[in-house]
Amino acid sequence: MPVTFHIPGALRPFTNGHSRVEIEQSPATLGDALSALWTLYPGVRDRIATEQGEVREHINIFVGHENVRYTGGLASPVSAGSEISIVPAVSGG
Amino acid sequence: MIGQVLGHYRIVAKIGEGGMGVVYRAYDEVLHRDVAVKVVNKDVRFDSSASQRLLHEARASSSLAHPNICTIHEVGETDGELYIVMELVEGKSLRAMSADAGLPPESVLRYGVQIARALARAHDRGIVHRDLKTANIVVTSDGLVKVLDFGLAKQVGSGIFEGPTRSFATIQDASSVSGTLPYMAPEILRGDAADYRSDLWALGVVLYEAASGRLPFEGRTGFEISSAIMREIPNALGPPVPPGLWATIQRCLTKEPIQRYQRAGEVQAALEAVQSAGIVSTDPGPDRSGPRTTVLHSVRHAHVRKGDFLLLVGTTKGAFILRSNAQRSRWEVGGPYFHGHSVYAMAYDGRGGQRRIWASTASYWGTLLRSSDDFGKSWTNPQQAPIRFSSDTGVSLKNIWQIALGRPEEPNVLYCGVEPAALFETRDAGETWSLVRGLFDHPHRPRWMPGNGGLALHTILLDPADNQRMYVAISAGGVYRTSDGGRSWTAQNQGIRATFMPDKYPEFGQCVHKIAMHPGRPERLFLQNHWGLYRSDNYAENWTDIANGVPSDFGFAVLMHPRNPDCVYIVPVESDEFRCACEGRLRVYRTRNGGASWEPLMRGLPQKRAYETVLRDAISADSFDPLGIYFGTRSGQLFGSRDEGRTWQKILEGLPSVVCVRSAVVEDISGGLGPALPKAAPAPSHQAKSLSKSKTRRPKR
Repeated sequence: MPVTFHIPGALRPFTNGHSRVEIEQSPATLGDALSALWTLYPGVRDRIATEQGEVREHINIFVGHENVRYTGGLASPVSAGSEISIVPAVSGG
Repeated sequence: MIGQVLGHYRIVAKIGEGGMGVVYRAYDEVLHRDVAVKVVNKDVRFDSSASQRLLHEARASSSLAHPNICTIHEVGETDGELYIVMELVEGKSLRAMSADAGLPPESVLRYGVQIARALARAHDRGIVHRDLKTANIVVTSDGLVKVLDFGLAKQVGSGIFEGPTRSFATIQDASSVSGTLPYMAPEILRGDAADYRSDLWALGVVLYEAASGRLPFEGRTGFEISSAIMREIPNALGPPVPPGLWATIQRCLTKEPIQRYQRAGEVQAALEAVQSAGIVSTDPGPDRSGPRTTVLHSVRHAHVRKGDFLLLVGTTKGAFILRSNAQRSRWEVGGPYFHGHSVYAMAYDGRGGQRRIWASTASYWGTLLRSSDDFGKSWTNPQQAPIRFSSDTGVSLKNIWQIALGRPEEPNVLYCGVEPAALFETRDAGETWSLVRGLFDHPHRPRWMPGNGGLALHTILLDPADNQRMYVAISAGGVYRTSDGGRSWTAQNQGIRATFMPDKYPEFGQCVHKIAMHPGRPERLFLQNHWGLYRSDNYAENWTDIANGVPSDFGFAVLMHPRNPDCVYIVPVESDEFRCACEGRLRVYRTRNGGASWEPLMRGLPQKRAYETVLRDAISADSFDPLGIYFGTRSGQLFGSRDEGRTWQKILEGLPSVVCVRSAVVEDISGGLGPALPKAAPAPSHQAKSLSKSKTRRPKR
């Protein structure tokens, strides 16, 4: 089973309008899944991650219901059928 | 009918037939040209007033001289035959061309743009088509689109599909409009009058049909079709239709007119944006330039023409483009662009005949440098951030604080000052950017400290007389100068106080808020410090305190008069702790003697409870004489003066916090001027640019 990314509206201009993107090649970690996502849709990369490869400060990524900040960041494990959500944080003025 | 003469038109051959009548090819015996003559069906009954209205409407339509509109020459009546004489258009109808599986997206976009242009022209003249459909759009053999029958439908259809008494039953029964029903907007079916937006709905149907060969709303009977129009969502168009085209069609086909595009020009801009994004939409690939996005969501565009005067306003929640003329008394406001993104830097680049607006955007999703060549209707939206730190630097881009044009003899050169403090340079008009390592690798850098706004390189000044000399200002690092084109840099802070350091006069580390240079006397610079106001007359070798009689020497903005090297404007704030206009009175201060004394300028500015702040880039001057000055405040007010600051008017209020204001006169694009022959004189900063413009072109007031 593939893992599925849920793409927020702000990023859909870079995923040909898709709100869900399935990654077929069974990634083991969030980092692998993200790499596969931005191989498919390169424009997504710079929106999610800094040029040093860190997830942007105000962007949260959830694997299932878990915020990956508390489960190992990019090393967080993903498994077949994982649903990965990319969500801007609730912050700012 | 063949061989007959109507007026002075000899009927030659029948070329078509529609609900309205039969169309003939005819020969104009007076003007000796081929024309098309539409003889209106007798069973479309006209009373005399209907006839009069048709004549009136045809006259109005005949005023629509536009390459994409079939010209109406005349409406006549002879022996009881009512006829319309039109330009003879030879080509294929879009209906016939789309019949099978639709046209390739490139063709749909190419034709769609032309149809939208035709509608825009007609709507500007107050004429609604009312019967736009693929059958009355003709494409000539060289790809030129001609829209037929402008403004005629209303009169011919009078009593059939106009007016509040119409019901579904009459539509169903009215065989003469059966070909038109699928293009009718829901509001017309509800009995409302057709307006511009009904034409934009019809344009959506036309685009859908052209892209797919199918109608978006189908049915076996008129009732089914009407029902689909009122209630159903059309089937989505997938590849090869690019998502941008589908999004545009969807917005045209929004049931509520208020949620559609409001102007044909917006549809045109949206289609053009998809055109320029074409490669990326179909293949995301490793393209660096990425799609251009057309900004949607209640964005208005300023309609800019040559000679117009522009204010570019960056705020913490988006950008605005204000348009006026040399009078600068009335303003058309375009925007907001980049909803919710902060826009700290903007610039207008008219070098080498271009008309490009640059803007930096920062949000949760990162920081980008973007540009528009159509005054904001579409912006680049690069897949990969063009300004980025390489992995060996260990840092990531946070914000772009300044966009500075390179020298006029190098129109492809631009600089950006960024946070964390660094300077980036492009030599190919923004395609690729490189970090200026001479500054980034400076041994002082690890000891620079972030100020309240972060560690930012916010000011870039180029000496117009020496192409190797350049200054940057860093908060909090101080002023740095290069004399070898950026390879090496020296701290130039002698005499500038650093109140927050144990050594009050360190070599570097000062929190410089802004520097300005006089382009005609580049050895002269002015500096607003975090506490302190200074002048240098020797290329920043040392600085002299000039805070003589100002209510506070704390502030952000410094504006150089482009012609008078002794004249500078500042907007002091009370203190570091209370960064608001002193005593709640918004006053600009001016010196006309190089800082020996200062005078407040406040006529027209609020003097009561005006706890305003004017940030470092939120002030700008124009190229007029007397000088025009514009500034925005943190509370979102925008003020302007046309008389060098003597009196002020409020231009706009209610904006998000203003962080950047730039001004420009839109010059004519002169065909003879290539990048090798720049039009403008030195333009290192907006101040210098103003001077250069005043030399080359001083608009009349």
